Amino acid sequence: MDLCFFLGCNMPAIRPDVESAIRLTMPALGVNLVDLSGYVCCPAFGAFPSMDTESQFATSGWNLSLAEEQGHDIMVQCGSCYSSLHMGLEHLHEDEELRARVNDLLKPSGREVQCTTKVRHISDVLYNEVGPEKIAEKIKKKLNGVHGIVQYPCHTLFPSEVVGFEESPRKPVALRRLTEALGATVDAFSLEYQCCGGAGGFAKTSPAEADAFTKTKLDAIINETKAEFIVVSCITCLMYMDGIQEKLNKQAGKEIYNIPVFDYNQLLALCMGFDGHKVAAISKIPRDSILRRF
Amino acid sequence: MEIDFSASNKNLWKEVYDNENLHHCYNCGTCITGCPASFGNPPLLVRNLARMVILGLEEELLDDPTPWSCVSCTRCEEMCPMDVKPFELILAIRKWQSLSDPTYIPTAIVEIYSRGYTQPVGTNTEMRESLGLHELPTISNQPEKLKLFREMLMKTPVMSENDYMFMGDE
Repeated sequence: MDLCFFLGCNMPAIRPDVESAIRLTMPALGVNLVDLSGYVCCPAFGAFPSMDTESQFATSGWNLSLAEEQGHDIMVQCGSCYSSLHMGLEHLHEDEELRARVNDLLKPSGREVQCTTKVRHISDVLYNEVGPEKIAEKIKKKLNGVHGIVQYPCHTLFPSEVVGFEESPRKPVALRRLTEALGATVDAFSLEYQCCGGAGGFAKTSPAEADAFTKTKLDAIINETKAEFIVVSCITCLMYMDGIQEKLNKQAGKEIYNIPVFDYNQLLALCMGFDGHKVAAISKIPRDSILRRF
Repeated sequence: MEIDFSASNKNLWKEVYDNENLHHCYNCGTCITGCPASFGNPPLLVRNLARMVILGLEEELLDDPTPWSCVSCTRCEEMCPMDVKPFELILAIRKWQSLSDPTYIPTAIVEIYSRGYTQPVGTNTEMRESLGLHELPTISNQPEKLKLFREMLMKTPVMSENDYMFMGDE
Protein backbone atom coordinates (compact mmCIF):
# COMPACT_ATOMS: atom_id res chain seq x y z
CA MET A 1 0.00 0.00 0.00
CA ASP A 2 1.03 3.63 -0.60
CA LEU A 3 0.70 6.19 2.19
CA CYS A 4 1.64 9.87 2.44
CA PHE A 5 4.22 10.19 5.21
CA PHE A 6 3.41 13.23 7.36
CA LEU A 7 6.68 13.95 9.18
CA GLY A 8 5.68 16.74 11.53
CA CYS A 9 8.52 18.88 12.83
CA ASN A 10 10.23 17.21 15.80
CA MET A 11 11.09 13.97 14.00
CA PRO A 12 12.89 15.38 10.96
CA ALA A 13 14.47 18.27 12.91
CA ILE A 14 15.45 16.70 16.25
CA ARG A 15 15.16 12.91 15.98
CA PRO A 16 15.84 12.11 12.30
CA ASP A 17 17.06 8.64 13.29
CA VAL A 18 13.39 7.77 13.87
CA GLU A 19 12.59 9.01 10.37
CA SER A 20 15.41 6.81 9.09
CA ALA A 21 14.00 3.77 10.95
CA ILE A 22 10.54 4.39 9.49
CA ARG A 23 11.82 4.92 5.95
CA LEU A 24 13.77 1.65 6.10
CA THR A 25 11.22 -0.59 7.82
CA MET A 26 7.88 0.35 6.28
CA PRO A 27 8.73 -0.32 2.59
CA ALA A 28 10.28 -3.65 3.66
CA LEU A 29 6.85 -4.51 5.09
CA GLY A 30 5.00 -3.48 1.92
CA VAL A 31 4.11 0.10 2.91
CA ASN A 32 5.48 2.60 0.38
CA LEU A 33 5.95 6.10 1.73
CA VAL A 34 5.17 9.16 -0.37
CA ASP A 35 6.57 12.56 0.73
CA LEU A 36 4.16 15.46 1.14
CA SER A 37 5.91 18.27 -0.70
CA GLY A 38 5.17 21.66 0.85
CA TYR A 39 3.51 20.32 3.98
CA VAL A 40 3.33 22.69 6.98
CA CYS A 41 2.85 22.45 10.77
CA CYS A 42 -0.06 20.06 11.53
CA PRO A 43 -1.09 22.73 13.16
CA ALA A 44 0.29 22.14 16.68
CA PHE A 45 -2.42 22.53 19.34
CA GLY A 46 -0.39 25.26 21.05
CA ALA A 47 -0.32 27.36 17.85
CA PHE A 48 -3.31 28.19 15.59
CA PRO A 49 -5.77 25.86 17.40
CA SER A 50 -5.20 28.08 20.46
CA MET A 51 -5.69 31.28 18.47
CA ASP A 52 -8.57 31.15 16.02
CA THR A 53 -10.74 28.78 14.04
CA GLU A 54 -9.94 30.00 10.54
CA SER A 55 -6.16 29.80 10.73
CA GLN A 56 -6.43 26.41 12.47
CA PHE A 57 -8.61 24.73 9.87
CA ALA A 58 -7.06 26.52 6.88
CA THR A 59 -3.74 25.00 7.97
CA SER A 60 -5.31 21.53 8.46
CA GLY A 61 -6.96 21.96 5.04
CA TRP A 62 -3.62 22.86 3.44
CA ASN A 63 -2.06 19.61 4.67
CA LEU A 64 -5.08 17.39 3.95
CA SER A 65 -5.36 18.79 0.42
CA LEU A 66 -1.75 17.79 -0.31
CA ALA A 67 -2.56 14.16 0.49
CA GLU A 68 -5.82 14.29 -1.48
CA GLU A 69 -3.81 15.48 -4.47
CA GLN A 70 -1.57 12.41 -4.12
CA GLY A 71 -4.60 10.16 -3.75
CA HIS A 72 -3.32 8.32 -0.66
CA ASP A 73 -4.17 8.28 3.03
CA ILE A 74 -1.82 9.97 5.50
CA MET A 75 0.43 8.07 7.90
CA VAL A 76 1.71 9.88 11.03
CA GLN A 77 4.00 8.88 13.89
CA CYS A 78 3.73 12.04 16.06
CA GLY A 79 0.71 11.79 18.38
CA SER A 80 -0.05 15.51 18.31
CA CYS A 81 0.09 15.71 14.50
CA TYR A 82 -2.16 12.64 14.33
CA SER A 83 -4.71 14.18 16.69
CA SER A 84 -4.61 17.65 15.12
CA LEU A 85 -5.01 16.33 11.56
CA HIS A 86 -7.94 14.21 12.77
CA MET A 87 -9.55 17.23 14.41
CA GLY A 88 -9.14 19.13 11.13
CA LEU A 89 -10.62 16.31 9.11
CA GLU A 90 -13.54 15.85 11.52
CA HIS A 91 -14.51 19.53 11.65
CA LEU A 92 -14.04 20.14 7.92
CA HIS A 93 -16.07 17.03 7.12
CA GLU A 94 -18.97 17.82 9.43
CA ASP A 95 -19.19 21.59 9.10
CA GLU A 96 -20.00 22.52 5.49
CA GLU A 97 -19.85 26.25 6.22
CA LEU A 98 -16.36 25.92 7.68
CA ARG A 99 -15.24 23.78 4.73
CA ALA A 100 -16.53 26.40 2.28
CA ARG A 101 -14.66 29.19 4.11
CA VAL A 102 -11.45 27.12 4.24
CA ASN A 103 -11.75 26.36 0.53
CA ASP A 104 -12.10 30.10 -0.13
CA LEU A 105 -8.85 30.57 1.76
CA LEU A 106 -7.13 27.71 -0.08
CA LYS A 107 -8.29 28.73 -3.55
CA PRO A 108 -5.58 31.32 -4.41
CA SER A 109 -3.02 28.55 -3.80
CA GLY A 110 -4.85 26.27 -6.23
CA ARG A 111 -5.85 23.96 -3.40
CA GLU A 112 -9.12 22.42 -2.27
CA VAL A 113 -10.01 20.11 0.60
CA GLN A 114 -12.73 17.51 0.08
CA CYS A 115 -12.07 15.35 3.16
CA THR A 116 -11.51 12.20 1.12
CA THR A 117 -8.26 11.18 2.79
CA LYS A 118 -7.92 9.16 6.00
CA VAL A 119 -5.38 9.93 8.71
CA ARG A 120 -3.70 6.85 10.16
CA HIS A 121 -1.23 6.38 12.96
CA ILE A 122 1.84 4.30 12.19
CA SER A 123 1.03 1.83 15.01
CA ASP A 124 -2.43 1.35 13.45
CA VAL A 125 -0.85 0.65 10.06
CA LEU A 126 1.65 -1.76 11.62
CA TYR A 127 -0.97 -3.57 13.71
CA ASN A 128 -3.99 -3.60 11.42
CA GLU A 129 -2.45 -3.56 7.92
CA VAL A 130 0.88 -5.33 8.29
CA GLY A 131 0.08 -7.37 11.40
CA PRO A 132 2.26 -8.86 14.17
CA GLU A 133 2.49 -12.23 12.37
CA LYS A 134 4.08 -10.75 9.25
CA ILE A 135 6.44 -8.67 11.39
CA ALA A 136 7.52 -11.78 13.31
CA GLU A 137 8.23 -13.48 9.95
CA LYS A 138 10.21 -10.55 8.54
CA ILE A 139 12.66 -10.00 11.41
CA LYS A 140 16.13 -11.56 11.48
CA LYS A 141 16.95 -11.08 15.16
CA LYS A 142 14.65 -11.43 18.14
CA LEU A 143 14.53 -9.79 21.55
CA ASN A 144 13.85 -13.11 23.26
CA GLY A 145 14.14 -12.91 27.02
CA VAL A 146 14.28 -9.10 27.05
CA HIS A 147 11.64 -7.32 29.13
CA GLY A 148 10.19 -3.95 28.21
CA ILE A 149 7.19 -1.72 28.81
CA VAL A 150 5.08 0.21 26.33
CA GLN A 151 4.11 3.88 26.54
CA TYR A 152 0.83 4.34 24.68
CA PRO A 153 0.41 7.65 22.84
CA CYS A 154 -2.73 9.28 24.35
CA HIS A 155 -3.48 11.04 21.07
CA THR A 156 -4.08 7.69 19.37
CA LEU A 157 -6.58 6.58 22.04
CA PHE A 158 -8.81 9.56 22.82
CA PRO A 159 -11.43 10.49 21.74
CA SER A 160 -11.76 6.94 20.44
CA GLU A 161 -14.70 7.62 18.15
CA VAL A 162 -12.57 10.12 16.21
CA VAL A 163 -8.99 8.83 16.46
CA GLY A 164 -9.34 5.28 17.76
CA PHE A 165 -8.30 2.00 16.15
CA GLU A 166 -8.14 -0.19 19.28
CA GLU A 167 -11.00 -2.43 20.37
CA SER A 168 -10.89 -0.73 23.75
CA PRO A 169 -9.24 2.67 24.30
CA ARG A 170 -9.21 1.86 28.03
CA LYS A 171 -7.12 -1.25 27.44
CA PRO A 172 -5.12 -0.75 24.24
CA VAL A 173 -3.10 -3.70 22.90
CA ALA A 174 -1.57 -2.71 19.52
CA LEU A 175 1.83 -1.52 20.73
CA ARG A 176 2.09 -4.42 23.20
CA ARG A 177 1.34 -7.04 20.52
CA LEU A 178 3.72 -5.37 18.07
CA THR A 179 6.51 -5.40 20.65
CA GLU A 180 5.79 -9.04 21.53
CA ALA A 181 6.11 -9.84 17.81
CA LEU A 182 9.79 -8.85 18.18
CA GLY A 183 10.21 -11.58 20.78
CA ALA A 184 10.29 -9.24 23.78
CA THR A 185 8.26 -9.72 26.96
CA VAL A 186 6.05 -6.72 27.73
CA ASP A 187 5.51 -6.28 31.47
CA ALA A 188 2.28 -4.86 32.86
CA PHE A 189 2.35 -2.30 35.68
CA SER A 190 0.02 -0.05 37.60
CA LEU A 191 0.62 3.13 35.58
CA GLU A 192 0.84 1.44 32.17
CA TYR A 193 -1.80 3.68 30.62
CA GLN A 194 -0.72 6.95 32.23
CA CYS A 195 0.20 9.82 29.88
CA CYS A 196 3.93 10.64 29.57
CA GLY A 197 3.10 14.22 30.60
CA GLY A 198 5.30 15.74 27.90
CA ALA A 199 2.90 17.38 25.45
CA GLY A 200 1.34 20.82 25.71
CA GLY A 201 1.99 23.39 28.39
CA PHE A 202 2.09 21.34 31.64
CA ALA A 203 5.87 20.73 31.67
CA LYS A 204 6.49 24.42 30.94
CA THR A 205 3.94 26.00 33.29
CA SER A 206 4.50 23.59 36.21
CA PRO A 207 7.98 22.07 35.78
CA ALA A 208 8.31 20.71 39.33
CA GLU A 209 4.84 19.13 39.31
CA ALA A 210 5.35 17.76 35.81
CA ASP A 211 8.67 16.19 36.86
CA ALA A 212 6.96 14.57 39.85
CA PHE A 213 4.14 13.28 37.62
CA THR A 214 6.49 11.40 35.29
CA LYS A 215 8.85 10.38 38.12
CA THR A 216 5.92 8.46 39.64
CA LYS A 217 5.57 6.53 36.40
CA LEU A 218 9.30 5.82 36.11
CA ASP A 219 9.39 4.63 39.73
CA ALA A 220 6.48 2.30 39.03
CA ILE A 221 8.36 0.88 36.02
CA ILE A 222 11.45 0.25 38.16
CA ASN A 223 9.59 -1.15 41.16
CA GLU A 224 6.97 -3.25 39.39
CA THR A 225 8.63 -4.51 36.20
CA LYS A 226 11.85 -6.00 34.83
CA ALA A 227 11.86 -3.48 31.97
CA GLU A 228 15.16 -2.98 30.15
CA PHE A 229 13.61 -0.62 27.62
CA ILE A 230 10.61 1.63 27.05
CA VAL A 231 8.93 1.50 23.66
CA VAL A 232 6.83 4.40 22.38
CA SER A 233 5.20 5.36 19.11
CA CYS A 234 5.05 9.15 19.34
CA ILE A 235 7.90 11.62 19.00
CA THR A 236 6.83 13.59 22.08
CA CYS A 237 6.67 10.47 24.28
CA LEU A 238 10.12 9.50 22.94
CA MET A 239 11.84 12.83 23.57
CA TYR A 240 10.11 13.36 26.90
CA MET A 241 10.52 9.90 28.48
CA ASP A 242 14.19 9.99 27.43
CA GLY A 243 14.98 13.57 28.42
CA ILE A 244 13.26 13.53 31.79
CA GLN A 245 15.35 10.62 33.02
CA GLU A 246 18.50 12.65 32.38
CA LYS A 247 16.91 15.68 34.05
CA LEU A 248 15.86 13.73 37.17
CA ASN A 249 19.33 12.17 37.42
CA LYS A 250 20.95 15.62 37.31
CA GLN A 251 18.56 16.89 39.98
CA ALA A 252 19.36 13.92 42.22
CA GLY A 253 23.10 14.13 41.52
CA LYS A 254 23.18 10.39 40.78
CA GLU A 255 22.11 7.98 38.10
CA ILE A 256 18.75 6.61 39.20
CA TYR A 257 16.97 6.36 35.85
CA ASN A 258 18.68 4.71 32.91
CA ILE A 259 15.99 2.90 30.92
CA PRO A 260 16.64 3.41 27.20
CA VAL A 261 13.66 4.66 25.19
CA PHE A 262 12.97 3.55 21.61
CA ASP A 263 10.40 4.43 19.04
CA TYR A 264 8.79 1.14 17.96
CA ASN A 265 10.16 1.41 14.41
CA GLN A 266 13.68 1.80 15.82
CA LEU A 267 13.42 -1.54 17.63
CA LEU A 268 11.79 -3.06 14.57
CA ALA A 269 14.60 -1.75 12.35
CA LEU A 270 17.23 -3.25 14.67
CA CYS A 271 15.41 -6.60 14.63
CA MET A 272 15.26 -6.41 10.82
CA GLY A 273 19.04 -6.06 10.76
CA PHE A 274 19.41 -2.36 9.98
CA ASP A 275 22.40 -0.39 11.31
CA GLY A 276 21.93 1.03 14.83
CA HIS A 277 24.05 4.06 13.85
CA LYS A 278 21.41 4.94 11.28
CA VAL A 279 18.18 3.99 13.05
CA ALA A 280 18.85 4.53 16.77
CA ALA A 281 21.68 7.06 16.91
CA ILE A 282 20.19 9.86 19.01
CA SER A 283 19.26 9.63 22.70
CA LYS A 284 19.94 11.16 26.10
CA ILE A 285 19.90 7.85 28.01
CA PRO A 286 22.45 5.47 26.43
CA ARG A 287 20.97 2.57 24.49
CA ASP A 288 24.06 0.33 24.54
CA SER A 289 22.46 -2.29 26.81
CA ILE A 290 19.95 -3.04 24.04
CA LEU A 291 22.07 -2.16 20.98
CA ARG A 292 24.78 -4.62 21.94
CA ARG A 293 22.31 -7.48 21.52
CA PHE A 294 22.18 -6.84 17.78
CA MET B 1 -13.94 32.92 47.48
CA GLU B 2 -16.93 35.21 47.10
CA ILE B 3 -18.06 35.70 43.51
CA ASP B 4 -19.81 38.84 42.32
CA PHE B 5 -22.43 37.70 39.83
CA SER B 6 -23.77 41.20 39.17
CA ALA B 7 -21.04 41.82 36.60
CA SER B 8 -21.41 38.44 34.90
CA ASN B 9 -21.98 38.13 31.15
CA LYS B 10 -24.83 35.66 30.68
CA ASN B 11 -24.03 35.23 26.98
CA LEU B 12 -20.38 34.48 27.52
CA TRP B 13 -20.82 30.80 26.58
CA LYS B 14 -22.01 31.82 23.12
CA GLU B 15 -18.86 33.90 22.60
CA VAL B 16 -16.52 31.29 24.00
CA TYR B 17 -17.97 27.87 23.25
CA ASP B 18 -21.26 27.73 21.43
CA ASN B 19 -21.98 24.09 22.26
CA GLU B 20 -25.28 23.31 24.00
CA ASN B 21 -23.84 20.21 25.64
CA LEU B 22 -21.86 22.56 27.86
CA HIS B 23 -25.09 23.22 29.77
CA HIS B 24 -25.45 19.50 30.51
CA CYS B 25 -22.25 19.60 32.58
CA TYR B 26 -23.22 18.61 36.14
CA ASN B 27 -19.80 19.21 37.68
CA CYS B 28 -18.94 15.52 38.14
CA GLY B 29 -15.20 16.19 37.80
CA THR B 30 -14.49 13.21 35.54
CA CYS B 31 -12.55 15.64 33.30
CA ILE B 32 -10.16 16.28 36.19
CA THR B 33 -9.64 12.64 37.15
CA GLY B 34 -6.56 11.38 35.31
CA CYS B 35 -5.77 14.81 33.83
CA PRO B 36 -1.97 15.28 34.06
CA ALA B 37 -2.27 19.08 34.26
CA SER B 38 -4.66 18.76 37.23
CA PHE B 39 -1.43 18.14 39.19
CA GLY B 40 -0.10 21.51 38.04
CA ASN B 41 0.50 24.66 40.02
CA PRO B 42 -2.01 26.19 39.64
CA PRO B 43 -3.97 23.06 38.73
CA LEU B 44 -5.97 22.81 35.52
CA LEU B 45 -9.52 22.13 36.74
CA VAL B 46 -11.58 21.77 33.58
CA ARG B 47 -14.85 21.52 35.47
CA ASN B 48 -14.23 24.93 37.05
CA LEU B 49 -13.50 26.44 33.64
CA ALA B 50 -16.80 25.03 32.34
CA ARG B 51 -18.58 26.63 35.30
CA MET B 52 -16.89 30.00 34.66
CA VAL B 53 -18.08 29.96 31.05
CA ILE B 54 -21.64 28.94 31.98
CA LEU B 55 -21.89 31.52 34.77
CA GLY B 56 -20.43 34.25 32.55
CA LEU B 57 -17.46 35.12 34.79
CA GLU B 58 -15.68 37.03 32.04
CA GLU B 59 -12.93 38.77 33.99
CA GLU B 60 -11.97 35.64 35.94
CA LEU B 61 -11.84 33.63 32.74
CA LEU B 62 -9.71 36.19 30.92
CA ASP B 63 -7.16 36.17 33.77
CA ASP B 64 -7.01 32.37 34.10
CA PRO B 65 -3.79 30.90 32.66
CA THR B 66 -4.64 27.24 33.38
CA PRO B 67 -6.14 26.34 29.96
CA TRP B 68 -2.58 26.73 28.61
CA SER B 69 -1.21 23.93 30.80
CA CYS B 70 -3.38 21.27 29.09
CA VAL B 71 -1.28 18.41 27.61
CA SER B 72 -3.89 17.79 24.87
CA CYS B 73 -4.14 14.07 25.72
CA THR B 74 -7.92 14.39 25.23
CA ARG B 75 -8.65 11.78 27.88
CA CYS B 76 -11.30 14.15 29.31
CA GLU B 77 -13.16 14.04 26.02
CA GLU B 78 -13.26 10.24 26.11
CA MET B 79 -14.49 10.11 29.70
CA CYS B 80 -16.96 13.05 29.87
CA PRO B 81 -20.41 11.47 30.37
CA MET B 82 -22.26 14.50 28.93
CA ASP B 83 -20.27 14.93 25.70
CA VAL B 84 -19.13 18.44 26.64
CA LYS B 85 -15.87 17.79 24.74
CA PRO B 86 -13.71 19.41 27.41
CA PHE B 87 -10.57 19.53 25.23
CA GLU B 88 -12.49 21.48 22.58
CA LEU B 89 -13.69 23.73 25.41
CA ILE B 90 -10.09 24.37 26.47
CA LEU B 91 -9.04 25.27 22.93
CA ALA B 92 -12.13 27.50 22.64
CA ILE B 93 -11.19 29.35 25.85
CA ARG B 94 -7.63 29.84 24.57
CA LYS B 95 -9.04 31.22 21.30
CA TRP B 96 -11.33 33.59 23.16
CA GLN B 97 -8.44 34.73 25.38
CA SER B 98 -6.21 35.31 22.31
CA LEU B 99 -8.96 37.32 20.65
CA SER B 100 -9.67 39.36 23.80
CA ASP B 101 -6.05 39.95 24.80
CA PRO B 102 -3.32 39.64 22.13
CA THR B 103 -0.67 38.92 24.76
CA TYR B 104 -2.19 35.42 24.87
CA ILE B 105 -1.42 34.82 21.17
CA PRO B 106 1.07 31.92 21.08
CA THR B 107 4.47 32.99 19.74
CA ALA B 108 4.83 29.64 17.92
CA ILE B 109 2.66 31.06 15.15
CA VAL B 110 5.43 33.50 14.23
CA GLU B 111 7.76 30.55 13.56
CA ILE B 112 5.10 28.74 11.53
CA TYR B 113 4.44 31.90 9.52
CA SER B 114 8.13 32.45 8.86
CA ARG B 115 9.22 28.88 7.95
CA GLY B 116 6.11 26.67 7.96
CA TYR B 117 7.05 24.76 11.14
CA THR B 118 7.71 25.29 14.83
CA GLN B 119 11.11 23.56 14.40
CA PRO B 120 13.78 24.32 11.76
CA VAL B 121 12.78 21.32 9.61
CA GLY B 122 15.25 20.39 6.88
CA THR B 123 18.16 22.57 8.04
CA ASN B 124 20.06 19.73 9.77
CA THR B 125 21.39 18.51 6.41
CA GLU B 126 24.69 17.14 7.73
CA MET B 127 23.03 14.97 10.34
CA ARG B 128 20.37 13.85 7.89
CA GLU B 129 23.02 12.87 5.35
CA SER B 130 24.94 10.90 7.97
CA LEU B 131 21.74 8.92 8.63
CA GLY B 132 21.23 8.32 4.92
CA LEU B 133 18.21 10.63 4.68
CA HIS B 134 17.35 12.64 1.58
CA GLU B 135 16.66 16.36 1.40
CA LEU B 136 13.07 17.15 2.33
CA PRO B 137 10.62 18.95 0.06
CA THR B 138 9.81 21.40 2.88
CA ILE B 139 7.81 24.53 2.31
CA SER B 140 10.82 26.56 3.56
CA ASN B 141 12.66 25.39 0.42
CA GLN B 142 9.80 26.47 -1.86
CA PRO B 143 9.50 30.29 -1.63
CA GLU B 144 6.51 30.52 -3.98
CA LYS B 145 4.50 28.01 -1.94
CA LEU B 146 5.53 29.61 1.34
CA LYS B 147 4.36 32.97 0.00
CA LEU B 148 0.94 31.51 -0.83
CA PHE B 149 0.72 29.89 2.62
CA ARG B 150 1.53 33.22 4.30
CA GLU B 151 -1.00 35.09 2.17
CA MET B 152 -3.64 32.54 3.15
CA LEU B 153 -2.88 33.00 6.84
CA MET B 154 -2.99 36.77 6.54
CA LYS B 155 -6.60 36.53 5.38
CA THR B 156 -7.64 34.96 8.69
CA PRO B 157 -8.92 37.33 11.40
CA VAL B 158 -6.46 37.16 14.32
CA MET B 159 -3.43 37.06 12.00
CA SER B 160 -4.52 40.11 10.02
CA GLU B 161 -5.44 42.07 13.16
CA ASN B 162 -2.01 41.42 14.65
CA ASP B 163 0.11 41.64 11.52
CA TYR B 164 2.74 43.69 13.39
CA MET B 165 3.93 40.38 14.90
CA PHE B 166 5.16 39.24 11.47
CA MET B 167 6.79 42.39 10.13
CA GLY B 168 10.29 40.90 10.21
CA ASP B 169 9.28 38.12 7.85
CA GLU B 170 8.15 40.03 4.81
